[in-house]
Amino acid sequence: MKSKGLTLLLAIVSLVVAGAGLGKFVEPVWRATREAEPALRLDSAAAAAGQGVTLALLGGFRALVADASWVRMYVAWEARDLPATETLLGLVTTLDPRPVYFWLNSARIMAYDFPAWRIETAGGFTAVSPAIQAKFKQQQGEAALQQIDRAMRYHPLSADLWVERANIQLNQLKDLAGAAESYRRAWQQPRAPYFAARLHGELLRRAGRSAEALAWLVKLHPELPTNDEGAGGPVVLGRIRDLERELAVPANNRYQPAR
Amino acid sequence: MMTRVTFSLRRTRLIAFNTVREAARQKLYGFVGVLAAAFVLGARSLRDFNFGAPELKFLADCGFGVMAFFGAALVITATAQLFFSEIENRTVLTLLAKPVWRAEFILGKFIGLAFVAGVFCTVVTLLLIQVLASREAQLLRDFPEASGLGAFVSYSNVIFAGVLQWLKLAVLAAFTLLVASFAQTQLFTVVTGFFILVIGHLQYLAQDAYARGGSWLGRGMSGLIATAFPNFQLFALADGLNVGEALPWWHVARVALYALGYIGVACGLAVVSFRQREI
Repeated sequence: MKSKGLTLLLAIVSLVVAGAGLGKFVEPVWRATREAEPALRLDSAAAAAGQGVTLALLGGFRALVADASWVRMYVAWEARDLPATETLLGLVTTLDPRPVYFWLNSARIMAYDFPAWRIETAGGFTAVSPAIQAKFKQQQGEAALQQIDRAMRYHPLSADLWVERANIQLNQLKDLAGAAESYRRAWQQPRAPYFAARLHGELLRRAGRSAEALAWLVKLHPELPTNDEGAGGPVVLGRIRDLERELAVPANNRYQPAR
Repeated sequence: MMTRVTFSLRRTRLIAFNTVREAARQKLYGFVGVLAAAFVLGARSLRDFNFGAPELKFLADCGFGVMAFFGAALVITATAQLFFSEIENRTVLTLLAKPVWRAEFILGKFIGLAFVAGVFCTVVTLLLIQVLASREAQLLRDFPEASGLGAFVSYSNVIFAGVLQWLKLAVLAAFTLLVASFAQTQLFTVVTGFFILVIGHLQYLAQDAYARGGSWLGRGMSGLIATAFPNFQLFALADGLNVGEALPWWHVARVALYALGYIGVACGLAVVSFRQREI
């Protein structure tokens, strides 16, 4: 008995000493691995544990299991089964949070389909009062934003997520200031679409912040490549001129493009 | 006068060879191997289920998933089964009645199991390379403009991933062998082996909990888990990368030495534990 206890103690001490030394040795690799994998940097212990267990049990198979669950989700979506669809959306993004596709589409379903289904369940668009309809849109829009916030923990540099966030704020929540800010954040991400910057300026104008919109577009225009039609340099310049007219900017203070 | 028998690598090799032969005789392991191979070869037919991830990444994920999932199942059950079959069939009594060290028995078993895991990983890696190469060639034929962007797949990465998976399975085999050296039943060994697999993947959370502080009991427990168990997330270095990204060789070298360190300690402890076991 004494010998067994000693062996157990020896085992624990040996593993701890070896682990401490080996852990230090492999520290730079672990730091680099964590930097490259947002799933390993989750703040929530529960979410991180979920990811760890998924990785342990499924490894690379999680992609396949998540894909199959996504197909199953569509069956529930076609039947307009809100609880089942919501559950499966959560399952898919827990199983494999790597594809942005899952996050974007789950947020869209939550923001645009779920309110429509709830209105239909409550009696239809003609029977349900506009106030209740607006409430459903607000609740589901907020739920979709929470889903995008979760996605951003895994994809902190995704411009698509910021654009989707802005779209939901604009179309469902009618939050012009929030949407303008989200388009601006989208523009700050790598490989951001040019329209995000243009929309930021446009929403500032619509929100009555024309001077800010003008300053933004004046700053933006020289950064746009001239050889890329999608950059929309002439469109931006046109909007600058509109805003200068609207704000009655003196001719000598007007923006002069360098090229 | 009795002469002291010295440690023999030859006897260790013979025990390892016998372990491999026993594993090869087991239909279950052959079935797992065939199933894994079928999954890798059939991954292309599953690509219609793929959403969001690039196709070659999806195929690579399937291959790595096969290695991790079937590999872990194979290693844990094989370690438990091949160790306890020696005890239940009493062959270990015959073996240890001869001038054979218990350390030779444990090391022989480990080397045999690591070899089995190595064969499994090699076969799956080669099949995965074949599947990726044929699909890559097809994609380059269909979209020749993409060839200007460089190679789609870093095959050195796929090989590194195979090597890292093998090292992870070897560490898992060493820890399962350590459990088997004192466990009374095969079932306990298998269940504990799977627990070690899961704890190894969650070990980094214990590191975080230890770093965050808190109560002395919580810190003590998390510190113990963080240092005593290997971090299996490290062995998935290549899985997280895009198939075209190269993995720094020094990362692989450090993780390999990390694995060898844990294997050495776990096998050493298994020897100590097994020497005290009454058979």
